[in-house]
Formats: sequence, structure tokens, C-alpha cells
Amino acid sequence: MTDQLRKRLAGLDPMHPGVPTESVTTPSSQRLLEEIMSTPVTEQPESRPEPRRNRWLVGVAAAAALVVAVGGAIALTGGNSEDPVAGGPPLVLNAGGEDATAMCIMFSVEELARAPLAFEGTVTAVDGDAVTLTVDEWFKGGDAGQVVLNAPQGLEALIDGFPFEVGSQYLITAYDGNVNYCGFSGLSTPEYRAAFEQAFGG
Amino acid sequence: MSSATERRDRFEAIAAEVYDPLQRYLRRRASVEESGDVFSDVLLTVWRRLDEVPSDAVLPWSYGVARRTLSNHRRAAQRNLRLVQRLESERQPAPDGDPADAIEDTDPDLAAALARLPSADQEILRLWAWEQLEPREIAQTLGSTANAVSLRLSRARKKLAESLTRQDPPPPGHIEDEPAEEQKR
Repeated sequence: MTDQLRKRLAGLDPMHPGVPTESVTTPSSQRLLEEIMSTPVTEQPESRPEPRRNRWLVGVAAAAALVVAVGGAIALTGGNSEDPVAGGPPLVLNAGGEDATAMCIMFSVEELARAPLAFEGTVTAVDGDAVTLTVDEWFKGGDAGQVVLNAPQGLEALIDGFPFEVGSQYLITAYDGNVNYCGFSGLSTPEYRAAFEQAFGG
Repeated sequence: MSSATERRDRFEAIAAEVYDPLQRYLRRRASVEESGDVFSDVLLTVWRRLDEVPSDAVLPWSYGVARRTLSNHRRAAQRNLRLVQRLESERQPAPDGDPADAIEDTDPDLAAALARLPSADQEILRLWAWEQLEPREIAQTLGSTANAVSLRLSRARKKLAESLTRQDPPPPGHIEDEPAEEQKR
């Protein structure tokens, strides 16, 4: 059954083995490789988002300060060797407690667009007080392949109370290493995603 | 032997291995033009990060690079596209470079069922059936663990099967299996 489904799906492959590709031995391929190999190998400096204070995040920031002080959780770790393209160390974000929702501002695409960090990710693990997501797409401000949300106060209060489920996709925004609540993060739905695309696409 | 020569040799060996599958990977997910742009960027990243390429998972690792490079490229392109679209008064729907369009004729039911799944499920199924990767390799590509991928894959397969049934009308004349009638006293 499994093999049948796999085979049937393979039948949809627009680039099945019968479709030709350019061979590595053609002159133009060889030129490309030569060009690449003449590129100096230098590590590119990491680009970090500029911290920017937004009024709608006052509550989040205050709560986060508490979380950092008490729990010693790390905001935006890494920085020395994070891989901008392949799987570097995960980005760690705080997903603090319910106090973080103390000062919500009504959701709008304009407000959403102010978030310095935004991505869509799939939950790969929920482990005690940490949620690990694989980043499916960075909309803004980051490049890590994985993001870990730390919730020292427990996961119940997370993101308007929606639970994180392994395999589900979420849209997350963060500020200064802290997950934004108040409707600025949540389960990925086509409508919600459209808002993210609108906010960060143009 | 100088290390520069070794480096070139290793890159050429890896390039030979990934040249064809990477082109396929990209063309499955992007237009010819976009694939070409991203392809050379991916190879450049492989060259720069040569020391990090795991020798037992060259291809899945390279797919991971391609995945992120394409995603970054898309975001940049989307910004430009949106600006142009706005200027063009948004009369037309976004141009659809989805390669899936071309294959709908082959197995329209399955293509439609696949399209109805969340994008993460679609992608894991593609990596499994098109790139022919096993969960361990998919994990390398997605930066996940083999266990998590196995779980996601089996869920995605189940969702696909359900999506397929939902669309298919029940076969005519289908008779449900009925349990043998219990004998009554």
C-alpha cells in the first residue's frame, strides 16, 4: 500500500528520470564550476536584525525581562557560527507566560509588519518546556534552520493558548528574542499566512 | 598535495554527484529561470561550506541548502513581484510558476488531493516520492530528526489517503461489508 502510494506519487513527478537535465560535463557546466571554485572562501558576517521597540510589544518585553531574569533563558543565542543557509545551531526564542499578553494591540497587517522576526515553521518536537520547529520559511529577520521556543513557565499559556502539536505548522513573530502573542503568532492557516505574506512580502 | 587542490577535487566530486539531482529538485519546485539562478547559488554555498558537507549524506545535505536558498530567493522575488503587481493594479492573479500545473493531467485526483494538504505535508511527500529519500535523509534535508520525520511522513500519507477518498465519489454499486447477522433466539 505504502509502496503503491509512493509509486503513484512518483508518477506525478514533473522531473522524473526520463526528463533530461544538463550534464556536469558540458562546457557551460564546467565553466560554472570553475567560476565557483575561483570564489574566495570566506565566511559571511552574520546579519542580525536590529532591535526595534514597538509600542505593541511593551507588555511582551516587560514579561520577557522577567523571564530572562528568573529563568535565565537565552534570547537570540548563537551569533558566532550560525549557518545562514544550511542547518546551523537553532535560534532560541522565549515563549514566556501569560503576562506577555498584558498589553495587546489589535491585530492588523500593518502592526504585524513591524515585527523584526517572522517565520513559518513546523513543530518537530514538544519536549517539556521547549518546542522545536523546523523553519519552512523566514519572512523576516532570521536565517536559522531550526527555532527552539523556550517556555519556562510551561506550555499551557503559549500563544493565545493554542497547543503546539508535532507536525503542525505555525506562523511566529518575535521581538528581542521573545515570541509575540496577541494574535501575532499562531497556527498557520491560509488566511493567516496571507496576512504574513502581505505584511512581509512587500 | 596542497589543500587547495584537495578542496577542488572534493568539490568536483560532490558537484558531479549532486549536479543532476539538484537540478531536478529545483525544477520540481521552481520555474526554469528561477531554478537556474538558485542552482548556482546552491553550488556556491556547497563550495563555501565544503568542510561541513557530511560525506554519508551529501545529497540530503545539498537538498537542505537548496531548500533554504530557494526560500530566500522567493522572499526577495516576492517583494519585487508584489511591488510590480501593485503598480499593475492587481488585475491578474499571481503568475503561477507551480510545476504541479504541468502534471495535473497525469493523475488529476492525486494531484488535487496532494494540493489540498498543508504545504509542509506536501513537501515531505515530495521528498519521499520524488527525491526518493528515506526518513533519515529527509531529516537531514529539513534539519529535523528521523523519528520526527517518520511520524510526519506517516501522518502526511494518511492525510493524503483521506484527501483522496474525500474527493473520490463512492464506487457505484459498492456494498459495505456487513457483519454476519447475529442469530437471535
